[in-house]
Amino acid sequence: MKKGFSMGGYVGRLLHVNLVKNESKIKPLNERYARLYIGGSGLACRILYELVDEGTNPLSPENPLVFMTGPLTGTTAPSCGKYSICAKSPLTWIWGESSAGGFFGPRLKFAGFDGIVITGRAHQPTYLYIHNGEIEFKDAIHLMGKTTFETQNMIKGELGEKKTSIACIGQAGENLVKYASVLNDGGRAAGRTGMGAVMGSKQLKAIAVQGKSHVKLADQENFNKARREATKDILESFTTSMYRELGTAGYVEIAQELGAMANKYFTKGFFDGAEKISGTAIANTILVGNKSCFACPIGHKKNVKIDTGKYAVPKTDGPEYETLAAFGSNLLVDNLEGVAYANYLCNAYGMDTISCGFTIGFAYFLYERGIIKRQSDVKGLKLKWGNIDTAIELVKMIADRDGLGNILAEGARYVGEHYGVEEYAAHVKGLEFSSQDPRAYFGMTMCYATSPRGACHMQGDMYLVDLGQEIPELGIESTDRHSNERKAEIAIRCQNFRALYNAIIMCQCANPTVTSICKLLTYATGYEVKVSEVNKIGDRIFNLKRIFNNRMGVTRKDDRLPRLIMTPLKEGGTLGNVPDFDKQLREYYRHRQWDWLSGKPTKEKLKELELTNRSESS
Amino acid sequence: MKETKLKFPTEEWVRVFKDEINNSEAYAEAAKHWEGDFLFIITPDGGLENEIVCYLDVWHGKCREAYIVPDRDAKKTEFIYEASYSNWKKLINGEIDPIKGILMGKFKLKGSMATIMRYTKAATELVKTARKVPTEFI
Repeated sequence: MKKGFSMGGYVGRLLHVNLVKNESKIKPLNERYARLYIGGSGLACRILYELVDEGTNPLSPENPLVFMTGPLTGTTAPSCGKYSICAKSPLTWIWGESSAGGFFGPRLKFAGFDGIVITGRAHQPTYLYIHNGEIEFKDAIHLMGKTTFETQNMIKGELGEKKTSIACIGQAGENLVKYASVLNDGGRAAGRTGMGAVMGSKQLKAIAVQGKSHVKLADQENFNKARREATKDILESFTTSMYRELGTAGYVEIAQELGAMANKYFTKGFFDGAEKISGTAIANTILVGNKSCFACPIGHKKNVKIDTGKYAVPKTDGPEYETLAAFGSNLLVDNLEGVAYANYLCNAYGMDTISCGFTIGFAYFLYERGIIKRQSDVKGLKLKWGNIDTAIELVKMIADRDGLGNILAEGARYVGEHYGVEEYAAHVKGLEFSSQDPRAYFGMTMCYATSPRGACHMQGDMYLVDLGQEIPELGIESTDRHSNERKAEIAIRCQNFRALYNAIIMCQCANPTVTSICKLLTYATGYEVKVSEVNKIGDRIFNLKRIFNNRMGVTRKDDRLPRLIMTPLKEGGTLGNVPDFDKQLREYYRHRQWDWLSGKPTKEKLKELELTNRSESS
Repeated sequence: MKETKLKFPTEEWVRVFKDEINNSEAYAEAAKHWEGDFLFIITPDGGLENEIVCYLDVWHGKCREAYIVPDRDAKKTEFIYEASYSNWKKLINGEIDPIKGILMGKFKLKGSMATIMRYTKAATELVKTARKVPTEFI
């Protein structure tokens, strides 16, 4: 902690980097912001709120990029080793955020900073080396055109420091693919909303972090007790057992049974081949071990290896549930090795597997209908359901912006506009839909329609609540998955809680009690966080992101679900069910205290949440 | 004629449950590759005074054996599915499903997740079969 900054858990300072001038400044962390917005994407949003407006081009030097940790990052609190990357998104032109595990976040704090605020555009390809409170601007010309894996290995070789984490982009980020991701610690990906493209637009190839300091806590002894309690909670959870043994891929069979997993670009209720791409199938074939992030007792990430054949990959991060959906069932592909290879390529080039897989799925959908012509753009490729080789070829073409790949690199919304069929693109606010179908879980209706970053399941995971995971301390109760009653109200509580998670930043695979989380925050920072305050803190952060988006032009008409998602299916676990969208949206707005006409939080709501500073309510 | 109801959990109930499993085509199809035996543990509450443990050997869509055992240490099985009496009652009455019961923390499951996850449909069919047994609760 620095002089004048009284909270534990934080370093108390931010590194501001100007790439135009190769200059940096160390500024104190605003303590009021830290208390109100905690850290991670909450704190990053507060910082960016003042720096970005509707006219800011996300790929211009004027769009700042923020790397941010939380008060528990780098401590021994379980499953809190993540960091956030935030900026105005080039894919959606609204709030962009993504997070990744591994060791980068903790090492950024060990290097002496809670976060980095990056502005401008470097004159030539550059990477940053941040170590023990210092920063070096390094030439990255020799790294251009390299994959994320090559980049990490080359920088590690140059720096010669074993305990260095590198967050970097691949060719997709360099080529400004709108859903380019940022990779660190091997295959840990900050995937969604195109933060890799923002890095690419700044000619920033990588950031390497390394340091030897420790995070100081307000009350170490009680923190240790709280850590033990939280770890015990996590280890006793059923989902932990599943994640440890199978990873998120363990959810494939349940998701298929309930109709939650996207099949044939959201048009088919069940996919017979899903068991061949399940967590169980991975465990029985290509799995070679588990990987844990910093201070995580779960270790849900899985390493896979394929020794021979055209899908051969070295020991690498295996596909998770969403990737198995995007490149598997979404394309009616049951070739596990092929899906694992596509996952590996996306990580190597640095692309979000969800956006990439579902944009390719949309292309297959349009090809089947003759909208994407069979010969012109596709270079003889057959975009046919079940064909993983075409998808793999398209991954390469997207990363290189070659032919049809150049169109797909802009995302599904653009593809729909380009071919005059925007209504069939499965996205919300420009972000491609993920695989927790609201027809299977009515609780996901509002989560997708109102998520601050578009069609995202990580800003409110009502699918788990509809499956049975309750949080009684916050009034989050599980009801019939096909009921609309009280769903919007419960979804709000769920979103608020996950807004806090994304600020702490805690991995959503870990679910200790709310009491345990409050104790961890209290004993880390020295400021009491009560269970009764959790909903309000999350509400504040969620609404901050909303007013950020309102400034970018978001209104009620953007809170919608795509046509395909609102079409009932004739088979499978969703059989004929679609949520009552209008009923849920009206209830949602009433409970959120958002104005029906403008889509903005009311003045009373902003006042209640202490979001009434001039800059926060303009 | 009035249907005779069987008390849950008794040896007689378990015997009829076994017959219902073996009569269920839906279960036979969903569990045709299943291999592994269970202990169903019913812990006391809601009128049940002592823990009751049921052994169930299901194999390739059929039930080979099913009976009450003296206690939870009487048999070593691949899987254990455990809950209080009142939660078993909710399960059999269709108020919660087997997977939701686990996620809600009302049921505990021990055993290979890789195997269990492949048979979520079979678990649902097994519970549907239990509902066919004319049941009387304490």
